Amino acid sequence: MMKSALRIGLTAAAMLTAGSALAAKVAVITPYLSQPGTQFYVEAFQGVAKDKGWDVNVIDTAGDVAAVISRIEDMVNQKVDAIVINVDPSQVTAGLEAAKAANIPVFGMDAGANALLQTNVTSNGYAMAAETSTYVADRIGGAGKVVMFVFDAFPPVQVRGVIADAVFKNYPDISVLDRVTPDVSDGGIADSRAKMEAILAANPEPGSIKAVWAAWDQPALGALQAIEAAGRQNEGIVITGIDANPQAREEIAKGGNFEASVAQDFKGIGAATADAVARVLGGEVLKQRVIYVSTKLVTAANAKE
Amino acid sequence: MLQILRRYGTLIGFVAIVIFFSVMLPATFPTLKNWLNITQQLSMLTVVAAGMTIVMVMGDFDLSVGSMATLSGIVAAMLFVAGVPVPAAVAIALAVGLAGGLVNGVLVSVIGILPFVATLATLTIFSGVAFVLSGGKTISGRAIPPDFADFAKSGVALGDVAGVAVSLPTLTIVAVLVVGLVYILLEQTSVGRRLYAIGGNIEAAHLAGVAVKRLKLIAFSLTGLAAAGAGLMYASRVASANPTQGSGLMLNAIAAVFLGMSMSEEGEPRILATVLGVLILGVLDNGLTQMSVDSYVRQILVGAIIVLAVAASALGKRSRR
Repeated sequence: MMKSALRIGLTAAAMLTAGSALAAKVAVITPYLSQPGTQFYVEAFQGVAKDKGWDVNVIDTAGDVAAVISRIEDMVNQKVDAIVINVDPSQVTAGLEAAKAANIPVFGMDAGANALLQTNVTSNGYAMAAETSTYVADRIGGAGKVVMFVFDAFPPVQVRGVIADAVFKNYPDISVLDRVTPDVSDGGIADSRAKMEAILAANPEPGSIKAVWAAWDQPALGALQAIEAAGRQNEGIVITGIDANPQAREEIAKGGNFEASVAQDFKGIGAATADAVARVLGGEVLKQRVIYVSTKLVTAANAKE
Repeated sequence: MLQILRRYGTLIGFVAIVIFFSVMLPATFPTLKNWLNITQQLSMLTVVAAGMTIVMVMGDFDLSVGSMATLSGIVAAMLFVAGVPVPAAVAIALAVGLAGGLVNGVLVSVIGILPFVATLATLTIFSGVAFVLSGGKTISGRAIPPDFADFAKSGVALGDVAGVAVSLPTLTIVAVLVVGLVYILLEQTSVGRRLYAIGGNIEAAHLAGVAVKRLKLIAFSLTGLAAAGAGLMYASRVASANPTQGSGLMLNAIAAVFLGMSMSEEGEPRILATVLGVLILGVLDNGLTQMSVDSYVRQILVGAIIVLAVAASALGKRSRR
């Protein structure tokens, strides 16, 4: 409280001496601070903010999305210099409009694109799918049958499937044996396993399936379980996923059929968001509605990092 | 003097909090715009807490209000997706709240299950139904009609204050209306007096000819209805429905009623005292956020204040005996 009083005093003093550099006040508001990915973003953001001398207020609403709107309103009222959100922007439109009315820029940190945001910093789903689908094509020498696991109903996953389709189509000797949409209501592993077991049963010849490309890790794990249960783990079927979740990393590290996945750079997203904030505070108008942060292919060589 | 402090400790505490924030944040806290913001932010909690007050007057609880708020939002959103017009969808969602509340009432008064157990069970049932209906997904975007989403953004223009357009939020108006209705019910009708009689001594009330079962059914139904109303306000505010979104409301509503109870003479819930309890919680959230106090420290402070307020009033009562 002393500190705040002091700060208010200093702020007032600084205002009086008009022109001296004020510490920018930036609020980071999220309902998901307890989730590991979010913590990485926020810590990286704070790291950059510290270098720039910003006064950062991190606000967690413990899962409550309406409270995100309330806290945005509070921050608008406080006339902060910038607000960063990590929540679906379409659910907090009321808050974004309040910020817009007060000319306070709002930034998305892996939030989703929205016209009311200066920009959204996230990973590129197209690029992630390109990493794993080219990995598959190269690994099987550009020839053979591939099973795809996709989920076109969910836009961020749908874009991954589009890229894999294009890459496989570009190789005349690669054919897509099946393009499976698993039932994800149980988490995705169990049904993917069942679907893969059926495909294995229909293609009993060793070598008849060269690879399984999955748009995210759960179906890749399910396919791996099916292949191991069928005793076909030594046929050299290559499996790839996306997201590099801990379970996937563990399997990849074993050096078995599950060979690759792609990890999002959460720290990079946090740091890039801080850079975007700095650019706008510096008077720049961002042209990119979405800023992509590069992702990293995870294989047995780096799965334990 | 000490007695006054104990009786009005919570009220004095509230005034002290307001003065403290006004001194610390002179430019942004004691402004009309901020207070209108606070009332809008608190509107949903106010409605749930008002409903909670009705059952707590009888000495009962309803733990299912948060899940009911969630469920009503999901029901309305699913109906929107199915193409049902907004007024009909809202009416059906409110009816679900009334029916769910009635189920609580039947379990508690007809079957005779302890409210804590009965409503804990319905809490998980309502929450489960919300998950089943929505498939666990958030319903948002184009599925939510603009008319419904705009409701929470609308308000009655109050004109310009220092160059800033200020309006009285519709959600605030709804909350005030609900509080008014509950006030009339509890303080101005014979139903209200009988509910207090049940809370005072259920056996005596029964012997005096109070229809305990019927009144409990009514009270729980109204609590469910209020919870459903709050859920719709929440869904409108976030322009979406999610199968977990109301879960924070229940504990805060009970906390608000308890804070209010610390102010009444006999320690019974009073609707206006509940509103003050809601305000204490909301003002703390607003002021501490503006002062950049860590969100987790805020939770500790809120809990500590509840303990302080209730302890002070408990000590006050003991000293009178």
